[in-house]
Amino acid sequence: MTEPAGSAHARGAREPLVRLEDVHKWFGNLHVLKGVDLTMDQRDVVVVVGPSGGGKSTLLRCVSMLEVPTIGRVFFEDRDITDVRANLNEVRTHIGIVFQAYNLFPHMTTLRNVTLALEKVLDLPNDEAHDRAMDQLAKVGMGHKAGAFPGQLSGGQQQRVAIARALAMRPKVMLFDEVTSALDPELVGEVLEVMIRLAVEGMTMMVVTHEMGFAREVGTRMLFLDDGMVGEEGEPKEMFRNPKSDRLRQFLEKVL
Amino acid sequence: MAVREAPSIEPEVAPDVRGPTAPLPATIFALGIAALVVIALGVVVSQLNYALSDRVLTPNCRQEQISPEDNGAIGVCNIVEALEDPLTTGALYLGIGLGVLALVLGASTYRRMDSKRRRDQAITGAVLGSQAVLLAIAILWFRSATPGLFAKHFLNFADLQGYGSAFVRGARNTLILAFAGEMGGIVIGLVLGILVLSQRRAVRAPARTYINFFRGTPLIWQLVTGYFLLLFGFGIRMSAFVVAIIVFALNTGAYAAEVFRAGIQSIERGQIEAARSLGMSYFQAMRYAIVPQAVRRVIPPLMNEFVILIKDTALVVVLGLTANEYDIFTTAREGQSATFNATFFTVAAIAYLIVTLPLIRLVNAAEKRLRSGLVGIAGAGG
Repeated sequence: MTEPAGSAHARGAREPLVRLEDVHKWFGNLHVLKGVDLTMDQRDVVVVVGPSGGGKSTLLRCVSMLEVPTIGRVFFEDRDITDVRANLNEVRTHIGIVFQAYNLFPHMTTLRNVTLALEKVLDLPNDEAHDRAMDQLAKVGMGHKAGAFPGQLSGGQQQRVAIARALAMRPKVMLFDEVTSALDPELVGEVLEVMIRLAVEGMTMMVVTHEMGFAREVGTRMLFLDDGMVGEEGEPKEMFRNPKSDRLRQFLEKVL
Repeated sequence: MAVREAPSIEPEVAPDVRGPTAPLPATIFALGIAALVVIALGVVVSQLNYALSDRVLTPNCRQEQISPEDNGAIGVCNIVEALEDPLTTGALYLGIGLGVLALVLGASTYRRMDSKRRRDQAITGAVLGSQAVLLAIAILWFRSATPGLFAKHFLNFADLQGYGSAFVRGARNTLILAFAGEMGGIVIGLVLGILVLSQRRAVRAPARTYINFFRGTPLIWQLVTGYFLLLFGFGIRMSAFVVAIIVFALNTGAYAAEVFRAGIQSIERGQIEAARSLGMSYFQAMRYAIVPQAVRRVIPPLMNEFVILIKDTALVVVLGLTANEYDIFTTAREGQSATFNATFFTVAAIAYLIVTLPLIRLVNAAEKRLRSGLVGIAGAGG
């Protein structure tokens, strides 16, 4: 795939935050990613769309090495994190992930969900972790539920806590893996709202989503992933208005 | 569709296919209960009647090889005679009659009962009736053979006088063996359970070998071999009681490992991914996210293992325990070999039940609570 002309390699301007180089992924005989290249710069909001089974989630999970590429390399701030010597635990503190199924720890309160990694991974003192967590929970509108357990919250509330949990680590990039897909329709808005604000504040984000409105309005760049390959890539509004490939046109017709 | 569109047809009433309603559901239910009650009362009352009054050794009993020299011979004879008593006989046959009646009536009419409650009454009556019939037949069969010989060996409590404190001590030792073994087993099991889940074969293989070995060989062999391995193999002279605790811990560890493995595997994959994506190491993720959740889920199966271990401690009978180390079963065996009276084992069974029945209830309650608790956790995930 050709890389889009952009500021990414304008020498000295700024290093790409994330760079994927010819990433392939096999699950057994299943070839899920077939050579994907991708760069993400600071403040990029890369939205990834495409038919299910196209490898969107796998691609996102490769960025934080939750899936290890079978072939290809992943760079974070120009460090090759596919290298076995890479300290993934350290790298992952800079990469926040929010999952479709929230994956909050059900045996801990909302607050403990957020403070756990602050204390155990970042080694923050308890009171500092507490303050940072409360601050972050307030920002997603969940400060009043700090003492609640995940099972007592709605899906939208749980997802906002999950976002707060990831943000409290002060990551350099946030990955969102179909975070609204499991939600009842009336709860989608509250989660998207948090994500929009985050984008406006300048967070670098990768968003795998089926919310086409969000992709068009918030994305700074869109990736159409089809059958494990980047089918088309560009500015979202332009891609919606004027899809170049038949596959993208067909896809957009189906989902819009 | 065509029928629906024709407006001229009058609204139809569903044809009544139920047929006439059957009578007497409560009577069938009462018959079933009565059948069981009659049998129970007949047997118990005549047993009490004989037990509480002075009797002599009847010729009938002598015929069943109960001799006057036997300690408690009259008590045993009373059991036999009460079984032959007309009151018992009458109750048994009356019970059979009532039970058959409930069974026939219930089975033939329950389909025609006009409410769920009445149908349940008819079915329950038939079931209770058939249980009464089977019970009565079993008792008739038992008394037609040589109940005296059985009673002489297993229901002769005369020799047990003075053994009360021994059984209490036995119960205490049984619980010490089982509890200490279980605690050791849980620690071993947690470690092994995590090891067998390793990605690395070199880590997995020894743990798997250990588990398969202890699950695959008889506990009685492990006890005997463990004792002599320590003594001859390593030159360690230890009390058989302590050796038993060690072997129980090693054995339970293998089973607990499987319980922990299954418990850890039952935690959704997303949990470890969430923990790892926050920068936690594998062991941090295990320690803070996975194991605390798994522990909740493994409590009922581990309690179940504990109940099994309580019974398995009886195997220490093959080791040379000193008298104050005797467990329930060894106490019974010693009593039996001193008196040639197997009633000690009957009492041992009762002693085990006193310990295990409350625990079994506790396991069931814990399982029930966990099931309802899991609904909450599942709701949080999806």
